[in-house]
Amino acid sequence: MPRSFLSYIAQRAVQCVLVILIGITITFFIPRLSPTDPVETAVNQAVMVGQFSHPDAVREMKEALIRLYGLDGTLLQQYVRFWKGLLAGDLGPSLSSFPKPVMTLIRGSLPWTAGLLLTTAVISWTLGNLLGSLAGYYKNQRWASIVGIIAMALHPIPYYIMAFVLVVLLAYVVPIFPIGGAIDIGLKPAFSIVYLSSLLRHAILPSLSLLLVGVGGWFLGMRTLVTNVIAEDYVTYAKYAGVRDRVIMYQYVMRNALLPQITGLAMQLGLIFNGALITEYVFSYPGLGYLAYNAIFAGDYSLIMGVAVFSIVGVSIAVLLIDLAYPLFDPRVKYQ
Amino acid sequence: MSWKRRLILFVVVMLFASMLGSYAWAAEPGATLDVAPGVPRHETLILENPEGRIADPGRFNRWAQGGGNSTGLQQLALDTLWYIDPDAGIDDPWNNSLAEAPPIYNEDYTQMTVKLRKGIYWSDGVEFTADDVIFTVETLMANPAMSFGAQFQLNVDRVYKTDDYTVVFDLKQPNSRFHAIFTVRWSACFIMPKHIWEKVDDPVAFDFNDPLVSLGPYVLKDYDPNGYWYLWERREDWHRTSLGMQYGMPQPKYALYIAPGPADKRVMAQANHDLDVIHDLTPEGMISLVNRNPLSKGWFDGFPWAHPDPTLPAVMLNNEKYPLNLPEVRWALTLAIDIVNVSMASYNGAATLSAIHVPPTGGYLEWYFDPMESWLQSFSIDVDGEPFYPYDDTVAFRVAETVRKQLGDQVPTDPEQLKKALGYGWWKYAPEVAEKLLLKNGFTRDRRGNWLLPNGEQWKISILCHGPTVPTMTRAATMIAEQWTKFGIETKAEPTDLLWTRLDYGDYDVCLAWCIETWGGHPDLFWFLESWHSDYYRPSGEQVVNKNPMRFKNEELDRIIEEIKGRDFDDPACVDLGIEYLKICVKEMPIIPLMAYNVFAVCDWYYWEGFPTADNPYTNPVANWANTKFMFPMIRPTGRK
Amino acid sequence: MRSRMRVISDLYRHDPRCRFALSVIFIVVIFALLSLVSPYDPGSSYYAPPSLPPSREHPFGTNSRGQDIFWLMTFAVRNSLTFGILTAFLSRIIAIFVGLTSGYKGGIVDRIMMVINDSFVVLPVLPILILINFIMRGQMGLMELAMIMALFGWAWDARLIRSQVLSLKEREFTFTSVFSGTNTARILLSEHLPFVTPIVLSTTINNLLWAIGMEVTLAVLGLSNIGIPTIGTTIYWANQHQALISGVWWWLAAPVAISVLLFIALYLLVVGLGTYLDPRTRIQRMKGALSDERA
Repeated sequence: MPRSFLSYIAQRAVQCVLVILIGITITFFIPRLSPTDPVETAVNQAVMVGQFSHPDAVREMKEALIRLYGLDGTLLQQYVRFWKGLLAGDLGPSLSSFPKPVMTLIRGSLPWTAGLLLTTAVISWTLGNLLGSLAGYYKNQRWASIVGIIAMALHPIPYYIMAFVLVVLLAYVVPIFPIGGAIDIGLKPAFSIVYLSSLLRHAILPSLSLLLVGVGGWFLGMRTLVTNVIAEDYVTYAKYAGVRDRVIMYQYVMRNALLPQITGLAMQLGLIFNGALITEYVFSYPGLGYLAYNAIFAGDYSLIMGVAVFSIVGVSIAVLLIDLAYPLFDPRVKYQ
Repeated sequence: MSWKRRLILFVVVMLFASMLGSYAWAAEPGATLDVAPGVPRHETLILENPEGRIADPGRFNRWAQGGGNSTGLQQLALDTLWYIDPDAGIDDPWNNSLAEAPPIYNEDYTQMTVKLRKGIYWSDGVEFTADDVIFTVETLMANPAMSFGAQFQLNVDRVYKTDDYTVVFDLKQPNSRFHAIFTVRWSACFIMPKHIWEKVDDPVAFDFNDPLVSLGPYVLKDYDPNGYWYLWERREDWHRTSLGMQYGMPQPKYALYIAPGPADKRVMAQANHDLDVIHDLTPEGMISLVNRNPLSKGWFDGFPWAHPDPTLPAVMLNNEKYPLNLPEVRWALTLAIDIVNVSMASYNGAATLSAIHVPPTGGYLEWYFDPMESWLQSFSIDVDGEPFYPYDDTVAFRVAETVRKQLGDQVPTDPEQLKKALGYGWWKYAPEVAEKLLLKNGFTRDRRGNWLLPNGEQWKISILCHGPTVPTMTRAATMIAEQWTKFGIETKAEPTDLLWTRLDYGDYDVCLAWCIETWGGHPDLFWFLESWHSDYYRPSGEQVVNKNPMRFKNEELDRIIEEIKGRDFDDPACVDLGIEYLKICVKEMPIIPLMAYNVFAVCDWYYWEGFPTADNPYTNPVANWANTKFMFPMIRPTGRK
Repeated sequence: MRSRMRVISDLYRHDPRCRFALSVIFIVVIFALLSLVSPYDPGSSYYAPPSLPPSREHPFGTNSRGQDIFWLMTFAVRNSLTFGILTAFLSRIIAIFVGLTSGYKGGIVDRIMMVINDSFVVLPVLPILILINFIMRGQMGLMELAMIMALFGWAWDARLIRSQVLSLKEREFTFTSVFSGTNTARILLSEHLPFVTPIVLSTTINNLLWAIGMEVTLAVLGLSNIGIPTIGTTIYWANQHQALISGVWWWLAAPVAISVLLFIALYLLVVGLGTYLDPRTRIQRMKGALSDERA
């Protein structure tokens, strides 16, 4: 068993590396099909700022920029150069914020994205599954169907609308929360009550918006799963055998129903590196989503790749961990 | 109580408690009314930076890529030789900023001499001199990847000083408009502090942060590492800057430039008096804001509120592409536009329309619109042997009437005022004439009434336009698409974020954008017109230089441009040449002019008063213009706290 | 065909939730079909007074572009629904195929399939969609978008299906079937599919919702064809006129209400269908029917 387990791990690791390789390669080439490129963007900006420019001046500037940005050479040469850099841990300079290293830009946004999305993902998963399994287990009770209706009604609301209605209601009509931003202006990071409370106050609306939409999904999924598990023979046996309700609920039902949900959570956590573009947009919250979005429009290949690499590696590792951990939760599944 | 009841109760109580708790947090900092710790609200002017979040907030190198521009940087910390105000200016649209006087050219415009102001200091106490100007030019020339670098290379033979306050530019060829590089209209080439930059190895990589040495009346106090806000503080020695020297102390002790988010949030922020100057809104947002906050004022006091920027959105037609290369087809498309509906759809009527190819703003009404009026009245096009008079000087009144149904007395009635605010006139909506023009050119209609090209193909048009950030333009494009579709041309509006790139490469047929931009406060058209010369012409597929993306060529126009080039910037004959240019454009209709770029720049008169308005037009209130620095010494605190 | 009608009538009779769901879906479909007889062209505007609240003449009110929201929504619902169903359907084909085969076959087939599957899982979808939108310029209609979304939207669900199969495989009845010599396809279809169906159905609904939501996101960002009325472009246009802050709430209320209703209906239908298909509850229902007869 341990030997097959080890070979399984090795196999999955190879698989994971392959996936990362393919994923990164695809995302390397897609942006380069895009009709915009960073030199163009830079020249356009300069022409606008520089009022009119003579065509010769523009050509000269372009050539200088192509050399500067390292965009000379064939696509293949660029691709090789990219991997060399990446393996050395260097994502290169951003092209729209030249010559700031991509890593610096990502490092600035990542903590906000991670903080917000990690917390909300975990809370909404826990809350959704807890409520969902209760509602599934006690499906004939009134409160269960009420919660169910609320979840069903909230879940399909377009996220943009949900976020905006929250801002209007809780930051304008009843101004309880700040209208946007991540922290009060001028407040310096410190481990103090003032800073932490400011941080929390600003995070509540964005996370609430994510929660309201997110909990519903987990809730509905879990309720269905639990309903299915309850019908399994072993639950019926347990009931006949006089096992206590709570034990059946937690030991028999929830544990088994949770399996697919754990997969979902891992995936959700991996996806965090994509950022939450609309949340950031509506709440003026810092994060990776906006960084990536801007990079796309500026044709900033390096920054697009930087964010994508984080996301791809994040999700791949999440997937790997799920696969490795799955048999731990479900002893019926063998490593293979 | 069963355990699940307890659980539900627990969740509810927790939610409630966190709500209450957060309410308590919220109430606490709100009470002190500080913008930031130690920065009182009533001493601060809060302005919108329309660039949004800045990806690389610590970068202030305005001469290279990256970082923000209108974060207060180009308004409050940078300075250059001259400014031209798009409106009337405090005393004159022309402002000698770092220069003491206008540029002095030699006889054949191969040399420009600049006299500099004395007694101007950088914020670190070093005096500003000719060396800074020379250093800036030489640094940029050595780095063509930086803004203006290549342009200096092309123009400047040698730059030197004759004393500490006199700079001489020897030019490679005659250029009577060389000073435009150093003249701010929105922006221009700003001056670098030599004593900082000379220590820098790589000027492209340099962030110009720490220290950000300012030549304007404010210094950077703090900024958001996430790029959402920039806080500036007035210099102790503000009187040693060009602005302070000329117009006295800038009133706000602090200026805060923020990215407030989507338009709805800007309305909410100003209604709460948390945002003094909004850069732009939609017309509907404007209406709902003035209904909420009576102290919110636009450029016009009441409808149409918006400030007409000296930029002319137009229906750009690719003159290279068949059938748009035919002047009669371009005219047919013009006559198939019902401008009243376009004005309503795009700006809810608050557009300043223009029938001719300059923006109807600033001094242009007097310089160009008044003299053109009688010519336009008598202008006719030949339709099947009969003259058709397309000009219609009643559109302003028809728009006003339509809006009056919705806004009532907020719409002015005085005809002169209406003409100034809504435009002198536009072209008649005459689809029947357009039809004749097309039939004459061999176009036919199919069974469903749709137009076929002379070769029998279906005529389809896609109008490129801006994405969601510029709603008025998308809305105009959609309305025109609808009208042309009704006329029988299958047309759709296509928002794209690649608008300028596609324009520059000629990768379009029709586009709603702009290429005519003027000083506003000065009649010279050379600024945009230079690149309409056939020397600059580039066919589709090659990049043009921004101002002739419609690829229009005209020999007569070449002569006009050359003649303007040979004359002095202030020569009154240039205006007459400009009028000749306008007549050519009306006949040829290379692009279809629509309206001024009206910006709903809204100022909240709650903490500050005396913002620029149509009645007191001392500068442009549109917050991302570097010219808005003139607002700072002119506004006054209201005393509200 | 007759048996399918039986299923529907069975569902309608036995399950009140399904009764509700089927009624709502029926109404929404009728609503979408009304677009065929709309008195107004969705491409025209300012034919009605702008920004009127709901009234007898305009049941959903009019928007700030002078369009009747009721009739506009008939087009929007039709387009969004078609788009969502198409996306969900196409991606289901791939997801079910990959999930079942990979999970059941195991070994090298499983490994290769999972490498491909995971490569799709890890791709950042939104940035890629934005980029593809960018590359395709204005050429992208709803159908093209649906195909691209299907291409990027199946992988996770295939994984879910596969993991369900993996756990089913270890159960007794699979062994029983294998020992009794039933062939693979038969086991897959007769033994596993019923157990997999609930998860397939619920992922279908999620996928449908995801597709419609993604269309809204793209529209909010200004990346969709604004000439085609959909739920997304309705929100886009409402934004362009700052509907929320100008008090024209009914412009947004209509698409939101319809999305919510439709989702609830689809969800309830899936739950009902799942229960109906589940072999264990089928027996219970038969018992129930028997006892009904006895009473």
